Amino acid sequence: MLALQLLFNALALGAAYALVALGFVLILNATGAVNFAQGDLVMAGGYGGLVLARMLPVPGVVLLPLLMAGMAALGLMVALVAYFPLRRRPPEAVFISTIAIGIILQNGTNILFGPELARTPALLGDGEFRWLDGVGGGLVVSAQSVAIIVVAALLIAGLHLLFSRTQFGRRLRATAQDREVASAIGIPVDAMVAATFAVGVALAGAAGLLLARGFFVTPNDGGNYMLKAYIAVTIGGWGSIPGAVAGAALIALFEVVFPALPALVPALGGPAFSQNGATIVLDALILVILVARPQGLFGEASKARA
Amino acid sequence: MRRADAMLLLCVAAYGAYAFAAGSSYTLRVFSVAGIYALAAIGYQFIFGQAGALSLSQGVFMGVGAYASGILALRFGLGFDAALPFSVGVPVLLALAVAVPVLHLRTHYFALATLIISQMVLLVAVEWQGLTGGANGIGGIGGITILGMPIRAGWPLAATVWVCVALGAALSAWLMRGRAGHAYAVLREHPAVAGAIGLDGGRMRLAAFVLSAAFAGFAGSLYVHVIRVISPDVLGFPVMVTLLTIVMIGGRLGVAGAVAGAVLVIELPEWFRPLREYTLLVYGAILLLVVVAAPGGLVGALRLLLPDRAPPAPPALAASPALAELSGLAALSGASGLLLEIDGLARHFGGVRALGGVSLGLRAGEVLGLIGPNGSGKTTLVNCVTGLVAPDAGRVRFAGADITGLRADRVAHAGIARTFQTVALVDDMTVLDSVAIARPRTDFATARAQAMTLLDRLGVADIAQRRCGGLAYGLRRRVEIARALALQPRLLLLDEPAAGLNETEQADLSRRLRGLAADGAALLVIEHNMAFLAPLADRMACLDAGVLIAQGTPAEVQGDARVIEAYLGRPAAVSRPA
Amino acid sequence: MEIVLDGLPLARRLTRASALLDITGLEVRYGGIAALRGVAISILPGQGVALLGANGAGKSTLMKAIIGLVRAAAGEIRFDAVPIGSLRPDRRARRGIGYCPEGRRVFPGLTVAENLAVACWGDVARKTDEMFALFPALAARRASPAWQLSGGQQQMLAVGRSLMNAPRLLLLDEPSLGLSPLLTDEVIGRVPEIVAGGTSVLLAEQNAAKALSVCDVAYVLKTGVVTAHGPAAALAASDDVRAAFLGG
Repeated sequence: MLALQLLFNALALGAAYALVALGFVLILNATGAVNFAQGDLVMAGGYGGLVLARMLPVPGVVLLPLLMAGMAALGLMVALVAYFPLRRRPPEAVFISTIAIGIILQNGTNILFGPELARTPALLGDGEFRWLDGVGGGLVVSAQSVAIIVVAALLIAGLHLLFSRTQFGRRLRATAQDREVASAIGIPVDAMVAATFAVGVALAGAAGLLLARGFFVTPNDGGNYMLKAYIAVTIGGWGSIPGAVAGAALIALFEVVFPALPALVPALGGPAFSQNGATIVLDALILVILVARPQGLFGEASKARA
Repeated sequence: MRRADAMLLLCVAAYGAYAFAAGSSYTLRVFSVAGIYALAAIGYQFIFGQAGALSLSQGVFMGVGAYASGILALRFGLGFDAALPFSVGVPVLLALAVAVPVLHLRTHYFALATLIISQMVLLVAVEWQGLTGGANGIGGIGGITILGMPIRAGWPLAATVWVCVALGAALSAWLMRGRAGHAYAVLREHPAVAGAIGLDGGRMRLAAFVLSAAFAGFAGSLYVHVIRVISPDVLGFPVMVTLLTIVMIGGRLGVAGAVAGAVLVIELPEWFRPLREYTLLVYGAILLLVVVAAPGGLVGALRLLLPDRAPPAPPALAASPALAELSGLAALSGASGLLLEIDGLARHFGGVRALGGVSLGLRAGEVLGLIGPNGSGKTTLVNCVTGLVAPDAGRVRFAGADITGLRADRVAHAGIARTFQTVALVDDMTVLDSVAIARPRTDFATARAQAMTLLDRLGVADIAQRRCGGLAYGLRRRVEIARALALQPRLLLLDEPAAGLNETEQADLSRRLRGLAADGAALLVIEHNMAFLAPLADRMACLDAGVLIAQGTPAEVQGDARVIEAYLGRPAAVSRPA
Repeated sequence: MEIVLDGLPLARRLTRASALLDITGLEVRYGGIAALRGVAISILPGQGVALLGANGAGKSTLMKAIIGLVRAAAGEIRFDAVPIGSLRPDRRARRGIGYCPEGRRVFPGLTVAENLAVACWGDVARKTDEMFALFPALAARRASPAWQLSGGQQQMLAVGRSLMNAPRLLLLDEPSLGLSPLLTDEVIGRVPEIVAGGTSVLLAEQNAAKALSVCDVAYVLKTGVVTAHGPAAALAASDDVRAAFLGG
């Protein structure tokens, strides 16, 4: 029963991480550059949700579209100041310019809201469902977790439809695969790249709203989320969209299950199974993957992107 | 030293003089911290500037040095100086451990790997409370002592720190003087060329990474004795961001940039006290502005504003030895037998056959022209011979030795030089240095003198002191050939040497290449320009779809039916609509 | 159709006035190298034009200059009598220029149908069916990702993609590259059909004999300069083409 509970928790966490990683990989594919501000944009999404909630006392699920629209606008601004002036320079220039964006977001939020823990409204409510109370501790399912899974699944499905069923989405993909040819067959690539930033940052914002209920948010959370997206995309295969989702799910599964191992397997125990211990072990695993399988855990080494 | 760099250092010195004169202990303390960051930034320039790799672990190397020195001081009473082997050594060992698996990775993977290492070290420091004091850290660390003599806070401390900065800057400038600095420039801007002129890129990157860690460790050990407490803050990302900002603002290359950048970034919050709360926010904004508007930083911008006056005179031509003597080519011209033997060389890319078992031979003193339609595998053949691409099958023998699959720099040292389809020179380097850098096993002054002879041989001695960036294309081609010759090659592979040259230049180049062959070098020339190639080549070979379809005298090959068909094709079998 | 390209200035002027594409004095530089110098070309509506030359002669550069992927240092490009030299590539494409790049460059992760669809600003379903009629081999693979296609099928897809927006001028850059003679015929053999449908074609080819057999007129490029031009049949008979490739 504990295993089932852990699996459910991992699913909810993984769903939110997947949104972060998706935003990261979309921008990566469209620009060939790492968006180092992705994590800080998640954090900004959390605070955006907070601000919206103060203005409109409605459930989070109503705020979500508003927040995503605002974050999309923020994404356009990021593209304008941190990507377009640098698009003819080596990709590391964008790496550094987005580090700068991250610093600005982090410290801007710190000045505006202070370093304390903040919390966004629940998507629907804070209720809990309990099942099978008698069996091994039972299964506790919070309304928020269910809502996170449903919302993330809807967003991912919507994204899939956008990319496979609409001309706009297909042209976004075409632009990501070969910018030069895309422009030569009539696709306005700059507009497409800007749109990708809007979509990618809107996803980060959504993830921020989803995560900042159960896990709270502080201005310093960005680095952590950025690293998760970066790692998810690395183990999923650099540039692969399904890989990013799978990578996010794997990270979430590890983060939920590893600290609980002593409870599952009584022989285990000790400081290695603390939250920090889990992160250290995960980091070590990622390094091993980087060295042994740079193309990621899944699929072949597709077209290399610098 | 360039004028711009001297100017920057002068500004820093002037500010330093003011800080010492003003003399408030607080001012001097801040100035000391600026010096410590300057040292770490000078180190960061090795990996991020010289080697061009975006490392995100410099802050952690500094923190590890600080922890090593602090812990040794508290637990074992070791002074700052006695602890140095550890406070420098531990970050160096960490760098070595990290570098072996990840240093060869591409930019974004290397950045991620160094970031992950940083996170791990930070978490270990927090968790390992027995050693590190955990999240709270440890206080009560003593000040700097040298040979048992305590250095007082105030001006003696600031002076000590800045003497260290001066020594570090001098060391860095000394390490990067002459050949090394130019070698890193080639590695950074044209990695494929680096191998082709005999530079071991992997070793150079490793050296840069280890040096950056050593400087950071030293800076960290100073830091812990100035701040007197140690906490995980020193391992945090903000330290890394500060170093990155310093180097971006000051400039990625040149110690003057690191020093000026450090003073600017560390002192800035002091100059604008009311804005202190916004310090990091302002850093972010400045960093963004610099990346977008001034990628070369202060140094780069100043170097444009203050160009150097007339460069030093090049070495006199008469002083340098003659080419034949210098290359030892003449001695070889009588040698018989095949110098290069290619046997059944094959290579696929994905499912595409680029080379399908090519066999070719080349004698000393011979010019072989290699022709073939687009995509027929000519460049792949050259890449396989020179070690840039590993063949799937087949063997390459050179001067009797098997060189199949040898690394590019080893192939170059074996005596095979090449030029590239697109000219790959470093814009900011002089013509003379660009050639001298490829000269093996000599000190740089001698190399420069010998390079003059080569430039003269190619008819470009008069532009020896010009920077490559501004040269006309024909001249760049010749400089590139001179650079290839500097390796003392016995075999020279030229990939489309006549492209972009006018007819006079082509005739001149052809004459000079014949002269090299007469001296005993073997030449393999890829070219589409038949008017250029046919009179130059002794023999010609034609590749089509990765297979050799003809070989013989230029006239034979040009008249060969298969060659004509490969180039011109047959009429399409189609009916035309009325 | 019989067009006299050379000869009287009057005739030349008349040709220019009605030209679909008219290029004069075009110069393109890469770094310090002039890749094209003083190139003048004009293409009439409904004309098939071959562009011949060895590699490195500047064929691809000319194609890229027309669609706007490289910037001209000097000269003028008029399409439909309107100067297009300052327009972005996508703007030029939307005005009616189709571009089929050297080396195919289909979008590898998009399916065959998607590759076609992204290049269409009209009735996608109708145009897709037209392309499947032109290249039946593609119809069977409509749902496969493009990277799974053979080289020949990818080339057909690239040609089809460049026709999706009903261009008035099609730029075909080295469609025979890396294809077997049979497949080359299948791709290049479609050119007369395309021209008959009212689309002018500029066909850059190394395979001169094949190109000449499907085009009305031809230009020969050598190291960035037009060294010969005229009716295809006349050029096929002359020695100019051979000289441009193999010296002589």
